[in-house]
Amino acid sequence: MTTTKKLWLGLISLLIVTFAIMLGLGGDLFRTKPPIPEKIVTQSGQLLYSKDDIQNGQKVWQSMGGMELGSIWGHGALVAPDWSADWLHREIVNILDERAQKQFGKNFAALDEGQQALLSTNLKIEFRKNTYNPNSGVLIVSDERADAIKKTAAYYDSLFSSDVKTHQDRETFAMKEGTVPDAARRHEMTAFYFWTAWAAGTDRPEKVGVSYTNNWPYEPLIGNKVTSGAYVWSLFSVLFLIAGIGLLGWHYAGWHAKEEHLVPPKTDPLKGIQLTPSMKATAKYFWVVIALMLVQILLGATTAHYQVEGQEAYGLKIAEFLPYSLTRSWHTQLAVLWIATAWLGTGLYIAPAISGHEPKFQALGVNFLFLCLLIIVVGAFAGQWFSVMQKMGLAQSFWFGHQGWEYVDIGRFWQMFLFIGLILWLFLVGRALLPALKRKDELKSIVSLLFLSTIAIGLMYGAGLMYGSNSHISVVEYWRWWVVHLWVEGFFEVFAVAVISFLFVKLGLVRGESATKNVLFATIVFMAGGVIGMFHHLYFVGTTTAGVAFGAAFSALEVVPLALIGFEAYETVQQSKSTEWMKRYKFPILFFLAVSFWNLVGAGLFGFLINTPIALYYMQGLNLTPLHGHTALFGVYGMLGIGLMLFCLRGLRDEYQWSEKLLNASFWAFNIGLSLMALCTLLPMGLLQLSAAFDHGYWYARSAEFMSKPIFDLLVWMRMPGDLIFASGSVLLALFVLSQWTIAKKDK
Amino acid sequence: MIEFYPQILLVHIWAISLSGALFFTRALASLFGAKWCHLLGVRILSYLIDTTLLTAAAILYTILPKEIFANGWLHLKLLLVVLYIVFGFVAMRKSNPKNIRVILLLLSAICYVLIIGIAINHHPLGWFYS
Repeated sequence: MTTTKKLWLGLISLLIVTFAIMLGLGGDLFRTKPPIPEKIVTQSGQLLYSKDDIQNGQKVWQSMGGMELGSIWGHGALVAPDWSADWLHREIVNILDERAQKQFGKNFAALDEGQQALLSTNLKIEFRKNTYNPNSGVLIVSDERADAIKKTAAYYDSLFSSDVKTHQDRETFAMKEGTVPDAARRHEMTAFYFWTAWAAGTDRPEKVGVSYTNNWPYEPLIGNKVTSGAYVWSLFSVLFLIAGIGLLGWHYAGWHAKEEHLVPPKTDPLKGIQLTPSMKATAKYFWVVIALMLVQILLGATTAHYQVEGQEAYGLKIAEFLPYSLTRSWHTQLAVLWIATAWLGTGLYIAPAISGHEPKFQALGVNFLFLCLLIIVVGAFAGQWFSVMQKMGLAQSFWFGHQGWEYVDIGRFWQMFLFIGLILWLFLVGRALLPALKRKDELKSIVSLLFLSTIAIGLMYGAGLMYGSNSHISVVEYWRWWVVHLWVEGFFEVFAVAVISFLFVKLGLVRGESATKNVLFATIVFMAGGVIGMFHHLYFVGTTTAGVAFGAAFSALEVVPLALIGFEAYETVQQSKSTEWMKRYKFPILFFLAVSFWNLVGAGLFGFLINTPIALYYMQGLNLTPLHGHTALFGVYGMLGIGLMLFCLRGLRDEYQWSEKLLNASFWAFNIGLSLMALCTLLPMGLLQLSAAFDHGYWYARSAEFMSKPIFDLLVWMRMPGDLIFASGSVLLALFVLSQWTIAKKDK
Repeated sequence: MIEFYPQILLVHIWAISLSGALFFTRALASLFGAKWCHLLGVRILSYLIDTTLLTAAAILYTILPKEIFANGWLHLKLLLVVLYIVFGFVAMRKSNPKNIRVILLLLSAICYVLIIGIAINHHPLGWFYS
């Protein structure tokens, strides 16, 4: 059996085993998720909330932006509080204040340490006790706790309305006045928040000391602290990482030393490539990439500005028509959309180039898909505006407005439309690639792998359709991460490696056979950690220790290939220097090098910083999360999207001169700007929050009291120089693309 | 954030002083044919100072009471800043005729002086406001 065949078999076996484990763990999560009670009643028999209230409350929360305004169980936006942690703390303090008044005639905060310890120790046992009856579906709370719940609900009711008493908090949390204007909706939303806090602070049945969310958030007042499982699996996680790096290092030493170097062709094999009508039609995809990127950066700047002026931007009352939850929704969606558009365009451009075959009506298909994408962007974003402004019914909001689930938050109709669009893309790429897939040459395997990664990217989006409007949040989280995680830490990685290797093979710099082996091996390494590693997002959303164990162990392996990415970067540099004509590809290659750098820093270092259960227990939802998010999403996939776009433009504008000045400045502006954004703002802010979470509990690190400190305003402002440099990178890139169709001169 | 007002104001004043000093030194040197003023390091230093200046200005705008800007001095100042940048940018281009560059440099200097006067007096009349 050839090495390639062995690797294929290894990959298929790995995928079967890992996806079986994923489904098994998913089943475990569905069985053990926190139950939603039919009724929540007081000891004296008063009904507080019903199941309908909780489920409708979730829908209200989703309709106003869901995870784009504050977070639940640590997942979501960072300026407003984590509603579960905040509610939990307020409810506890309301009870403790009541008891402190009765026993000592003072509020809890005014008591000395001994008195506080006495009260919180007594409360801890009764607060954590699970009083939910699975047979009747009834959850009974004490009258004292019911009073505390009502007080907390009253605060929330005021916060989400236009009440002047809570105006200052709304400003700190970047919430618009009257976030949820309807009082009945606000009441239902408080039911949902209460329930998420209840799950976070209540012991699982027959498991004393471990809540449904594995004790997340850290709340010392009721003994919500890191579980022993989280400690143990964090240690193992580090061990697996070291072992993985060692093994991969060993492999590199043995394998790569044996590789023969290829003498590159004397001229660029892709120069003068015959452009088919469908290839030419992809140009507009890249124009849209630029337009979406510019809008995305502008929305990012607006979203960041909301952290210093909660409802305004330089005097303009922007929250009234473009609230934070909307700018953030569009900012995150556009990131995915422009990167995806660059990749879609690349797929459509290179497929006929690979096979030398232009299927009938291919250009029509490319144009039709483009039109569909435009309709989806405009329709989905308009729907989100109506939803966040609370101008839609809850059912309509789910279908056409805002689903509230970060990264997959466009309305269900638009989500389905996009899924169909991705399938159409697969169809178009597949039919153009077909002759190349049928050929039995050395490229067959790598083309197959490239095509398989595109199929997986398309199909994985379908996981986002596996839940409905009434689905339990744990179930939604499971499927949502199938899309987000399996994209970014699985199939995107495979696509990135496969497409870059493929381009080098086409340029005659690498042998097809060795590239195939390398890509197959890299795919096995990525998927070994990447698939089950998904559970590191689910440590605290209702999973048991098994989920934590698998998540911690396998997600550590995700970092292994990133730690050794220097080898890949070195090879890329060597290949770029191997012939004179490679200068034509200087800039795509520079951006591919940036992909390697940010893979190590953004995905590897900043990713592992928040990866182990202990670390994530304290860091989830602090500014250390966007530190990883920005440097990995833009650093890796954004840079890759730009690199691929430039590669395609090289072919599309084959005869035209490139402005090195513009591209050089753009490249460095992107990299320097992103570094400054990470190091001057996100990292220090995250570390300050982390320290606050350690000292006082998680709620404090996200509270108005802490986040309104002047040092945070200053740190947010420190983003401005980096953001300006970063934004200038995108403007320069836009000027370059514009120049290619306007003032660029032809090569002599 | 208002707690940091004195420090931010200081940064703003230093940045505008350095920005102006560096620009006029570079522009004059360029007119006399010096090459150092077009070096990458010097250009980057200029960008850094200007970015700091803009950041400090944006912070000051958001933390100060809006009534301070009621008479429109800031709008005029911003207009003059744009003119200062445009004149300065064209004056630095070696491909333009020398006499045009001198005139643009002078216009740029006038804008700069007017900007300082308006900023100090918080009034559109600037130095002419009594």
